[in-house]
Amino acid sequence: MSVFEGLKFRRVYSPIHDLDPRIKFIYVCAIFTVAIIFLELIPLMILFLIQIPFVVLAGVKREWLRSMRGAAFLATIIFLTNFIFSYISAGPENTAATVEYACALTLRFIVLVESFSVFFLTTSPDRLGLALEQTHIPYEFCFAFTTAVRFVPVLAEEAQTIMDAQKARGLELERGNFLKRIRNYIPILIPLIVSAIRRSLELAEAMESRAWGATKNRTNLYALKMHRGDFYLVGITAGILTVAIYVRLSFGIPSLNDLLGWLF
Amino acid sequence: MSIIETKNLTYTYPGGTKPSIEDVSIKIKKGEFILITGPSGCGKTTLCRCFNGLIPHFYQGELKGDVTVVGLKVAEQPIYELAKHVGLVFQNPENQLFALSVEKDVAFGLENLGVQREEMLKRVNWALKLAGIYDIRERTPHELSGGQQQRVAIASVLAMQPEVIILDEPTSFLDPLGAKKIFEVIYDLNRKLGITVILVEHRLDLTARYANHIIIMDNGKSVLDGEPRKILSSEEALLIGVGIPKPTRLYQMLQKDKVNLDNIIPLSSDEMATVLREALKSQ
Repeated sequence: MSVFEGLKFRRVYSPIHDLDPRIKFIYVCAIFTVAIIFLELIPLMILFLIQIPFVVLAGVKREWLRSMRGAAFLATIIFLTNFIFSYISAGPENTAATVEYACALTLRFIVLVESFSVFFLTTSPDRLGLALEQTHIPYEFCFAFTTAVRFVPVLAEEAQTIMDAQKARGLELERGNFLKRIRNYIPILIPLIVSAIRRSLELAEAMESRAWGATKNRTNLYALKMHRGDFYLVGITAGILTVAIYVRLSFGIPSLNDLLGWLF
Repeated sequence: MSIIETKNLTYTYPGGTKPSIEDVSIKIKKGEFILITGPSGCGKTTLCRCFNGLIPHFYQGELKGDVTVVGLKVAEQPIYELAKHVGLVFQNPENQLFALSVEKDVAFGLENLGVQREEMLKRVNWALKLAGIYDIRERTPHELSGGQQQRVAIASVLAMQPEVIILDEPTSFLDPLGAKKIFEVIYDLNRKLGITVILVEHRLDLTARYANHIIIMDNGKSVLDGEPRKILSSEEALLIGVGIPKPTRLYQMLQKDKVNLDNIIPLSSDEMATVLREALKSQ
C-alpha cells in the first residue's frame, strides 16, 4: 500500500508551511498567469528558478524532485510533439529556433507543475481545510474533504487486513492475465466497500450525537491570521506580476539564440 | 429527582419483527454511576440510543412509551438540542473522530453549537486536561493508540459539558490497561464533577466497584434494577449469564460452604481481601 503512504498526513513546520494557504494559492495563480503570458524561454527560466528558494526553505527537496521526475514523461512528450510539428512547418534551416520554441513550451508545463507541487507539498490538509472553511465554502464540503483525508490511512489499513485474510484463504492476487488479475480484486473490494458503508453510518451517528447542524453560524477553533511572512509573499507576488506585465507590454524579449548570438 | 426516566418504553427497528426493547421503565437519578449490562443483543445499545434522540430521529422505526431526559421529551427534541445535555461515547473509537487533530476533534461539538472562540479554547483545554490528553492535542487521530483515541472521544463529549455521559462499551477495542485508565477517567468525572454516568459494559470485574446502581437487561427487558451488591450476588444474575465479578462469586461460594464472613458483599479484589483478612483474624 505504498500508494497511500504519500497521502498519510504529517505535520511539518517551516516558514513556507506556516504561510497562509490562501495567499500561497494566490501566488500559485500568479505564477500560472505569468507562465501563460510568456512564450519566450528566458522569462520562463527565470520563473522556474524563482521557485527553487521556496522548495529549499520548506525542506521538501526530495519530495519535490520526485514530483518533477513524475512530470518528466509528460514533459518529454510535449517537447517531442512540439519539436516535430514545428520542424515540419519551419524547415531544417530554423532548427535552433524550433528547439528553443519546444523547450519554452515544455518549460511552461514544468513551471505549472512545479508551482502546484510546491503548493501541495507545503500545505497540510488540515490547513487547506481551514482555508476552505474560511473562504466561505459550504462547511459540508470542507468537512467531506478533511474527513476523506482523515480516513485514507484507516481504509488503507483495512484493505491490507482484508487482503491478508483473503490470501490466507487461498486467494491469489498475482495470478492470470490482466483481466483475471483485475477480477482477483473483487473479493477484496466488496468487503472493503461494505465495511466503509458501515463505518459511514457509525460516523453519521457520532456526528449527530455531537450536535451536527445545530446552528448555521458555525464557529471555528482555529483562525487563519496573516503573519509577516504572508505579507512578504503578497509583496513578492505583486512584484512578480508587475514586472512581468511591464516587461510584456514594453519590451520585446530576445530569444536565447539571439542573446547568445550577440554575446559571442 | 430523576434525570432520565423511561415509561413503558418499547422500540422496534425499521423492518424488525420483534421489539429490540420492550416495556422498559427505569429511573436514573442525577449524579449516579449506572452500569447497564446483560448478554449481547439484549438491547443495551438500543436503550442508549433512546437517551440522546438517535432513536427515534436518526433511526426511524416504532417507538412507544415515554423517554424524558433532563426534563426534555426525547421524541419532541432534535438530536442537537439533546446533545447539549447528553454525551454519547461509542464502542469503536476510530469511527467517532473526524478531524485531523485531537484539539479540533474535541472542539467539533462546540463549533457545531457556534460557541465563541475564547470560550471554546477554554473548554477544549479543560476537557483535554481532564481526559489526560493535553500533551497530544496536536497529533492526528491516526497516530494514537486505541486507548488514547477513546480518551479523545470522551474529551470531545466532555467539552460540550453535558449533565449525562453515556458510554456504550467504550473499552471493547482496548487492552486491559487502557480500559482501566478509561474507567478511572470516567469515575473521576462522576465523583469530582457530579456528572451522571451511564456505562454499558460486560467487564464487571473492572467496573462493578464504581457503580452505585446497576441495571441488567435480558431479551429487551430490564430484568434486574438496583443496588450492585444485592443484584450481583443474586441467583437471577447468575442465571442470566452476566459476568459476575470473581470476588463476588468467591464470596458466594464460601458462604454456601458456611464459611463465616462479613456481611458486606465484595465487588473487587481489594474488598474481597479485606473480607478474608477479617475472617482469618476472627478465627
